[in-house]
Amino acid sequence: MPRNVTINLRMIISSIIFFIIMPLVIYLGVTVLEDRKYYFVSIVLVLLACVPFFLRFERRRPQPREILTIAVMAAISVAGRCLFVVTPAIKPVTAITAITGISLGAEAGFITGATTALVSNFFFGQGPWTPFQMFTWGMIGFIAGLLGKTGIMQRKILLALFGVFAGLFFSFGMDIWGAISTAGMFSKEAFIAAIASALPFTIIYAVSNVIFLLLLAKPIGEKLERLKQKYGILQ
Amino acid sequence: MRVFEKYHPIVLFSYFAVIIFMTMFFMHPVYLAITLIGAMSLNLVLNGRDFFKSLKMYIPVFLLIMIINPLISHNGEMVLFYMNDNRITLEAILYGLAMATMLVSVMLWCSCYNSVMTSDKFLYLFSRVSPVFSLVLSITMRLIPRFTYQLKLIGQSQKTIGMDYTIGSLWHRIRCIMQILSILITWALENAIETADSMKARGYGLQKRTTFSLFVFEKRDGILLAVIFLLFVISGIGSLLGSTTFYFYPALTGISSTLKHLFFYSVYAMLIVIPVGIELVEGLKWRYLKSTM
Amino acid sequence: MAIFEINDVSFQYPNDEQLVLQNIQLYVEQGEFIVLVGQSGCGKSTLLRQLKRELAPHGQRNGSIKYNGIPLEELDPKIATSDIGFVLQNPENQVVTDKVWHELSFGLESLGMDTPTIRRRVAEMASFFGMHTWFRQKTVELSGGQKQKLNLASIMVMQPKVLLLDEPTSQLDPIAAMEFIATLHRLNEELGITIILIEHRLEEVLPVADRVIVMEQGQIIYDGSPRLALASLPQNHTMIQALPTAMRVFHAFNQTGEAPLTIKEGQKWLAAQHIEKVKLIEEPLGTNRPILMEAKNISFRYERDSEDILRSFQLQVYEGEILTILGGNGTGKSTALKVLAGLEKPYRGDVHIKGKKLQKYSNAELYRNVIAVLPQDPRTLFVEKKVKDELSKMVHGKKEVDVQLKELIALLEIGHLLERHPYDLSGGEQQKVALAKVLLLEPQLLLLDEPTKGIDAFAKQSLANLLKSLQRKGLTVVIVTHDIEFSAMYSERCALFFDGNIVSCDNPRAFYSGNRFYTTAAHRMSRHVLDQAITCEDVVASCREM
Repeated sequence: MPRNVTINLRMIISSIIFFIIMPLVIYLGVTVLEDRKYYFVSIVLVLLACVPFFLRFERRRPQPREILTIAVMAAISVAGRCLFVVTPAIKPVTAITAITGISLGAEAGFITGATTALVSNFFFGQGPWTPFQMFTWGMIGFIAGLLGKTGIMQRKILLALFGVFAGLFFSFGMDIWGAISTAGMFSKEAFIAAIASALPFTIIYAVSNVIFLLLLAKPIGEKLERLKQKYGILQ
Repeated sequence: MRVFEKYHPIVLFSYFAVIIFMTMFFMHPVYLAITLIGAMSLNLVLNGRDFFKSLKMYIPVFLLIMIINPLISHNGEMVLFYMNDNRITLEAILYGLAMATMLVSVMLWCSCYNSVMTSDKFLYLFSRVSPVFSLVLSITMRLIPRFTYQLKLIGQSQKTIGMDYTIGSLWHRIRCIMQILSILITWALENAIETADSMKARGYGLQKRTTFSLFVFEKRDGILLAVIFLLFVISGIGSLLGSTTFYFYPALTGISSTLKHLFFYSVYAMLIVIPVGIELVEGLKWRYLKSTM
Repeated sequence: MAIFEINDVSFQYPNDEQLVLQNIQLYVEQGEFIVLVGQSGCGKSTLLRQLKRELAPHGQRNGSIKYNGIPLEELDPKIATSDIGFVLQNPENQVVTDKVWHELSFGLESLGMDTPTIRRRVAEMASFFGMHTWFRQKTVELSGGQKQKLNLASIMVMQPKVLLLDEPTSQLDPIAAMEFIATLHRLNEELGITIILIEHRLEEVLPVADRVIVMEQGQIIYDGSPRLALASLPQNHTMIQALPTAMRVFHAFNQTGEAPLTIKEGQKWLAAQHIEKVKLIEEPLGTNRPILMEAKNISFRYERDSEDILRSFQLQVYEGEILTILGGNGTGKSTALKVLAGLEKPYRGDVHIKGKKLQKYSNAELYRNVIAVLPQDPRTLFVEKKVKDELSKMVHGKKEVDVQLKELIALLEIGHLLERHPYDLSGGEQQKVALAKVLLLEPQLLLLDEPTKGIDAFAKQSLANLLKSLQRKGLTVVIVTHDIEFSAMYSERCALFFDGNIVSCDNPRAFYSGNRFYTTAAHRMSRHVLDQAITCEDVVASCREM
């Protein structure tokens, strides 16, 4: 009985956020703010979009092992950065988040991505970009988790495709959206200029994602599987 | 010295949230000037000389945004000159200038935020909203330095068996890094089992957790919070009454200096100056205490 | 009434034929200090975990365990959590959060206590343990000893009646370990807390214990007073090596009855014996052999403006010797080893190997056939899922090395481990596999960093035998350690590392009989009557002709 209640409450709050508050923010952004504060409006939207995920995570009361696996994966993404001074612009964050999502499920994937973004900014500086990063990485983990459930991520081709997609998604979420919303205007030229200037980074993201996913997916999956076998349930 | 940061996290967080919010919102030259000056002086108080070093980063950003806008946007009435058949207008230049001021101010405020709101304060606030996620953050924060150290050890061990990730071809490096990461992940996950045991041994998951912290909400925190809130509301009212209204396109609006507007400008300035003011007053108090001792 | 009644308990892991515990019968009285010993794999950890419901391993348990007369599985979860405290082996792994104060309050938060209660309990505990100076620090900044103390304190805040500890000192240096044991003794004496402790460093623990329980192959083979333990252990039992020095000498003299436990008691007992001293034969110092490696005036620091860790460090390593470098924790002896191995670069001075500067060697030359390093944590070398793959990876399936690999597996006695996952092995076994891995590179010089850390007396003995037989094959061995006893027994030269340099270097007999404080337990015990004995064997040998 109480379980049903919490699920319903969660559904209600999520629905309210998605169908009432978020459109309202957009509407107010267009009317009251005279369509100028894209940056501000997008931060609010992104923050709101994160709320249901956290709510669900809280309500579910995750077990210590799940909490630790998420923390371990996020910490590895951040700590791993120091290795990559020798291979500039390549970072394993996206791949590790996606693999966690595939192995532990969509929600854990979202939380891993969001944690990674938030925590790494404790070291590199918080800013208005934090919510964007939390949301983009969280979504990459989430989508990977959803796709992982169907089993299609076992195929290398699809895994690689996902890497490309994640690269584009991240690039759009961070560089392009960031550039447009800070410039405070939506014009075709601005859009093209932003995409063009972000293109080299987008390519690097996509390529490195593909490499990391292909190299890391199997070993990490096996490690998590081993723990499930050895110590009982992980999820 | 640093007195401001000793206030309760909720006060600090509210302050920065309010300031950054208003900085992003009020695209009015007077408001922008106030917030920029305020952000710079708080940076100076908090970071001292390092602030001048960090200017190296802010100035190019400022110039870049200022230049880009008139190149993309050709609105405005005052055409200064033509570049490749595109109009370069005064309004667009000034809008770029305002945009740059706004963004750099936000960055400067964020830098103050980062030095005042340390991770434990943030975690404390977050634990009220989302205790489990906040615990995940706390564990992650604890693991990162540990992993960084372990990565170094693994790197050294691997070097002695021919897997040096700092030399060789790019492919060799990537292979070494993958191996090192893989070792770290195994090690970390196996150790995490013991950490999970340690959590269970201490009753994790038994019932709803309470949240303990060392932060105490004092009277002065309440007072400051009330002041911030009051000034924020007045500024909001001011904004509704048009004190922050300013149009760049198609032509610039004038800056009003009626008594009403001057009042709202000064309320905004008071809000901005709070932390620097607290630091200065406290500094004088100390000097006085020292001299009378 | 007994606080724990363990009746006829047997335990079996899933997918495992063998019983890990067989018909265990054990009563624990309120306020007892019990030490649980046995070789790794004897089932002592499994037994201890049965007593903590939350940590009991998955598997099939028979028999009953009662806490204060109530079957453990019927105990109220809140009482089960707070009354029975458990401290695990690795100090690092048990720390959950990033701040000391948060760690202390963690258990109380889980029990749902309110802020004033937590504040008071945490303050009380920090004061009792003397932690107030680092109360607000980050947990990463603590030393191993401080971390383990924090782990103990964060259990103690929940006000347990019983403390269960699974090898809590195995990862600590000797001084921190002694302090930890002293704290446990204090908790037992001052608060009457019941303590059940698994330990393999018995020198300091046995004197404070009320009872010792020896386990073997899932059964209790001795349960009683520490002083009388010798009588019920079979002659030449492996556990005897692990006992305190005084007891071991007592045993070697074939005496029966109440054995001395401490150095003081040992001295008294030895003085009462009628002994005729025999001159021990002095082994010649092997300095006429060629120098294999030499460190000349090395200075090193980690950061540009940090303290020097090595100050004009000098060292000669002769071909074919076993050299131990001793020193306290955090003195920088591990750093010295890393500099010798070429893993850290000194800002002044050079390491010469076979007369050639270390920098002149390429990585491939240096780490193939010249130097091998066994890291402190052998797990930094493990990549594969099976020990077998771990080893074959090193030789890339070459035919001629196949024979060598087989020989090595036989020498290290790891044949039975080949199909297992490296992380499923005990500490001693992991070390052997790691050693096999680096030995496959056919080094002339083997550097070992703290090899005796966390392994039991039996594994230590087997490591020593191994190093001796490798030495006979011509390998030179340099060991960095804080294990005085190990160094006294198995090395040919000992060097004391202090304040960034080697302050004295000699053969073990001259080295340890010259020291009064920093010396072996056997020497401290026998110094009054014998002036050159540094090991139990020495004491026995110098007195044989009674």
